[in-house]
Amino acid sequence: MVRDEEVARATRQRKVNVQKNPLNATTYLVRNLGKSLPLASVIILAVLLICGIVSLINSITLSIRTIYSNSRHFAAVTPRGNAELTPVLREDIQSKSPVPLARVMTFRSTDIEVKSIVGPWPFAIAALGKEDIEFFIQRSGGGRIEGRMPTPGEPEALVSEPLARNLGKRLGDNLLEPDIPEAFSPLPVKIVGVIHTSEWKAVIPLEYHQNYHFPPIDSLLFFTQDPRDQRQFDLWVEEHLKGQNARVFTYAKLEEQADTMFNILYQILNVVIGLLVIVITIMMGMLINIHLSQRVQEFGLLQALGYTKKALLTRVLAETSVVVIGGWVIGIFVSWGLLEGVKKVLMDPRAFALDTTDRLAMVYTLPVPITIFIVILVTIGVKFKKFDPVGVVERRLV
Amino acid sequence: MIALKEASLVYHDHGKDVFACREIDLQVGSGEFLGILGPSGSGKSSLLYLMCGLKLPTSGSVWYEGQEVPRLSDSERAALRLNTFGFVFQHPFLVGYLSALENVVVASPVVDRREEALELLVQLGLEEKLHRLPHELSGGERQRVCVARALLGEKRVIFGDEPTAALDHKTGLKVMETLNSRRRGGSLVIVTHDPSMLEQADRIVRISDGELE
Repeated sequence: MVRDEEVARATRQRKVNVQKNPLNATTYLVRNLGKSLPLASVIILAVLLICGIVSLINSITLSIRTIYSNSRHFAAVTPRGNAELTPVLREDIQSKSPVPLARVMTFRSTDIEVKSIVGPWPFAIAALGKEDIEFFIQRSGGGRIEGRMPTPGEPEALVSEPLARNLGKRLGDNLLEPDIPEAFSPLPVKIVGVIHTSEWKAVIPLEYHQNYHFPPIDSLLFFTQDPRDQRQFDLWVEEHLKGQNARVFTYAKLEEQADTMFNILYQILNVVIGLLVIVITIMMGMLINIHLSQRVQEFGLLQALGYTKKALLTRVLAETSVVVIGGWVIGIFVSWGLLEGVKKVLMDPRAFALDTTDRLAMVYTLPVPITIFIVILVTIGVKFKKFDPVGVVERRLV
Repeated sequence: MIALKEASLVYHDHGKDVFACREIDLQVGSGEFLGILGPSGSGKSSLLYLMCGLKLPTSGSVWYEGQEVPRLSDSERAALRLNTFGFVFQHPFLVGYLSALENVVVASPVVDRREEALELLVQLGLEEKLHRLPHELSGGERQRVCVARALLGEKRVIFGDEPTAALDHKTGLKVMETLNSRRRGGSLVIVTHDPSMLEQADRIVRISDGELE
């Protein structure tokens, strides 16, 4: 008898197992996936499109910063017009530097071409003395060396792993050759060491360059004692040598040039994204309008039963929030996944830079949910303002 | 309980004033079953909507338990409909994506009446169809769900606007029987054009061209 009652109670409990308030924000969405998924998909695709475009465009400037990131560690100064000026410049800068200097190196350079997503870019191979090479490697973060350091005076090179990957070179390959114009050296320069670091760098012995390469101009690299002072020194040396017979290369200048170079591209990007947001918002507004029209009977019935306009509005807005915010979050994750795929398949084999969690790209996607939410808010507000539930229950509106 | 004093409802139709109800004086007592009988277009539905506060009179007044309904705010009138009045409309309107049981539960969003909703549906013979969606129910079953929804909670007045119009005669009589027997001392106001549905009514008033006869 007691057992029968328990079974009856359990059966009853199972039967009554519905939500206390079935009209919560997710019921409609979950039970009408055919309607809610297309809405969320539009947002996901929009976010994917914007995030993808911005991340890929940002990868150009990111590539510049990555490829030339080793210049963060020094300021390079080259005399202009007169090769005899190098010791004068060294003396002048050393004596007037606002921060203590750790080392001043004499260096020469030769260019090669590296691959980027917008075509070949020049890359400077530094020719340095043996001890200077060691200091330079230490200052720029060190890293495990596969192979060995170049022998002074010999046609040998040490390259970093990303650079080797970009060039498709391995240990024992020639970095420079007499018959390759974009990687020229009178003798074949063999890669004898690969340093495993994220920075791009290549060094050859200074003596080899002095003996075989043209022009015979010594340049200077300045390293501050405290790496945190390097930027301050860079800005100072740029200002200090302004108008003099010297050319200055610093990371700060590189960043400034990159920003200026891509300024117009970003303006075009803003217009494209703006248009995209407008088109998608109009599309979403129309879709939402159709969806709300299909739910007139539900809203009319509930209002007739005693639900206030405010309660219905709140519910629709909660549903909208779930779709819009959910769509945006999923869109961000899908974008991240897709960009990770692009990075692995297309970018990494060539050591191209791509930030798959680019914050700027995410910020660019924010107008999508915000404008869609505003349009939906206005659409619903207008619809509810003049809504007559009697029209629905009398079947005049449905 | 409910009192209409010279209540009129005027529609503006292409620049003309059309009286849906004209200076109606009517009272519904506590626990009374009032039938409002009239042909199509006579204004009986408009009269019902005036009584329950879904429409406001263009002149005259409507009172419920000493409160003048038109003076209540929108949210107060909504609360009155939700907590005090039950409705059965001519068409068995249900929320399409909610089950029969959930459709009844929506009539009480604040107080948990799931057990009571289950009881009502069982009493109305829908025990096997509690979790069916509206499109899986017949017209008569849908209307019975609407009846359960109207009866849920402590409703003081149940309003029926042609609740049997979409049903066959036999089912219609059953629905009327259910409404009358399960209103638990509440008043029942039924609008219909079919006098046979009002056999159990305490009082019947007739309406024609918006005026009580």
